[in-house]
Amino acid sequence: MSWAGFKKSVNRAGTTLLQKTGQIERTVDREFADEEAKYRIFEKECQALQKDSKAYWDAMKAMTAAQSRIAETLETFYGAADRSSEGAMAGHAYKRSVDDLDATFTRELDLPFRTTISEPLGKMNAYFPVVNEHITKRDKKLLDYDSARSRLRKLIDKPSEDPTKLPRAQQENDESKEMFDLLNDQLIAELPQLLDLRVPYFDPSFEAMIRMQAKFAEEGYEKLSGVQRYFADNVRDDYAAGQLDAQVEGILQEMRELSICGGN
Amino acid sequence: MKGIGKALARTPFAVTSRIGMSKKSTDPEFDDYQRHFTALEQAADKLIKDTKAFIEAVTSLFTAGAGFAQHFAVIFQPIAGEYDIIGKHPEASQTIRSVTKLESAMQELRELIGPELELIDTRILGPAKELQSVMKTIRKTITKRDHKLVDYDRFNNSLTKLRDKKDKSLSDEKNLFKLEQDFEIATNEYEYINNALKQDFPRFMMLVTQFIDPLFNSFFYMQLNIYYLLLEKMNSFADETKYDISNAPGAQIMEDYESKRTDAWSVIENLGIIKRIVSVSRMVQAARSQSGPSSAASSLKAGAPPARSVSSSSGYKKTPPPPPSSSSQAAPPPYTPSASIGSAASAPAAAKRAPPPPPPLKPKPKPAPQIKYVVALYDFAAQADGDLSFAAGDRIELIEKTESAEDWWTGRLNGVQGVFPGNYVQET
Repeated sequence: MSWAGFKKSVNRAGTTLLQKTGQIERTVDREFADEEAKYRIFEKECQALQKDSKAYWDAMKAMTAAQSRIAETLETFYGAADRSSEGAMAGHAYKRSVDDLDATFTRELDLPFRTTISEPLGKMNAYFPVVNEHITKRDKKLLDYDSARSRLRKLIDKPSEDPTKLPRAQQENDESKEMFDLLNDQLIAELPQLLDLRVPYFDPSFEAMIRMQAKFAEEGYEKLSGVQRYFADNVRDDYAAGQLDAQVEGILQEMRELSICGGN
Repeated sequence: MKGIGKALARTPFAVTSRIGMSKKSTDPEFDDYQRHFTALEQAADKLIKDTKAFIEAVTSLFTAGAGFAQHFAVIFQPIAGEYDIIGKHPEASQTIRSVTKLESAMQELRELIGPELELIDTRILGPAKELQSVMKTIRKTITKRDHKLVDYDRFNNSLTKLRDKKDKSLSDEKNLFKLEQDFEIATNEYEYINNALKQDFPRFMMLVTQFIDPLFNSFFYMQLNIYYLLLEKMNSFADETKYDISNAPGAQIMEDYESKRTDAWSVIENLGIIKRIVSVSRMVQAARSQSGPSSAASSLKAGAPPARSVSSSSGYKKTPPPPPSSSSQAAPPPYTPSASIGSAASAPAAAKRAPPPPPPLKPKPKPAPQIKYVVALYDFAAQADGDLSFAAGDRIELIEKTESAEDWWTGRLNGVQGVFPGNYVQET
């Protein structure tokens, strides 16, 4: 921090203190406070939205990647005994379709997702720090103005012997007010605009998101359901009836009865 | 204690066999089985790991999906005191109407997915873990077999060495006898366990395949169902909200997005508050030099001519009727006559536009109204009854004006009396 900056921050700390103890009057600007509150909500929501959109995309990729790895493992299992069984064929078909889903699909949506969701959100979220800088600057200039004004008032109430003091205080007051007004007016005028523009800004992203979600569901469903052709006819019903679980349990039991498992 | 004793007894042999001093027997058939078994063990571990990863991914997919919908809904709903977003942005009305529907759809979906994940957890992950524990006991048996093999080799080696000894002492003879006995026991034990393993391994491998079949089928249907649930929800949502979600290539989605993108991007980029502040005093300088009386607040529309903000530094309460800019939408706000008598807030049309400026102060009837004229700077077409239309350049007889140019003034033109925005005219 420069020396000037340091001086400023010390002075401002003093002003804040005097305001807290009620010695310097604080400017209350309802209008700005309202706009700022709304802006804060918007800022928070945008950040949450960005986080969730990233999590969504990552999860989509993680889901297909996990499926692809599971398919690979299945091949190992089938490789243990019989590579040409019906199960192995189905496992192979499954692997093909999830690989397809994992590679083709995510690659196809990678750019669209970035363009329609990540980029607009990232851009908007990148604006916030700058806007916040404006707000901070405005708050600081407000403190300067409050302090200059209170000095001016004191001089008016209790004129000093030095005749140059009053005009100087007047000038300081005017200058700090001008600075503050400049920042404040801009914020009050533009914060609502920014907020209002969010609607047309984000509007197309919504439809894109819906379409991509639907696409993900549809591709996933279609690619996977093709694998059923390789299943025995009764599998679907067996699954629905819980038969498959019973089979799994039965085989586990058989395994446990092997002499090499626990049986010495 | 017995275990430690055995381990100690085996150690010297482990060392000598490693450095090649003692012979180690191998059983290729068994080794082959064991290799397979190790592969299966690793596969089971992987299956468990990836199934967990899958469950996590699905959970986070639906959590994030619900979160996204929720936050999007907040952004597209009025924030603290805003009103009628649809009115202001009719082009986004479909989105605005749909955000909460998506939010609840996603919420429902998240609840629907819970039981599915539970199924995967109990019906897939559970058995897989069982399989893993079965394999662990088999692994134990294998370790035991390896130990027995060490014993076998150890006694075998000692025995051969002793037998090959040229002149045996008395104690050597005694030892030989004892070793022969030990060797026989070790051989029996090893053979027994080795044969048991060799006999059971093929059976186990087969069982694993039989095990994986129904497990895979179940898992498959569970996965399919997750996609199905999502697809169902999206379809019913799209039906309700009239979105076209027919499967289009990703590039198409992107293209449609681009074509719907409005100029909001560039408008936002032109805002002053998203530009870094270099120096406030420089900003003040710039504002001073820029168009005399106009104070800071007008970086909005650079080219907007009317001096709209003479009084802006003091109050800046209302949105003044926007001055016409060259762009299309800049029609002046409609005006309801009732505004001038002070009930502007109740006018239903008020929702449609920025609130009109407060009514003028009670007009003081001037004793001797002196006729004043103003010249129209822009065209103005009546928005409501009681508005005065005129073309740029018209001379309008001014009947009543307020202090602010951002207000509605009253005037007469060609015998018609009506109100018009004060910032559309210039006083002569």
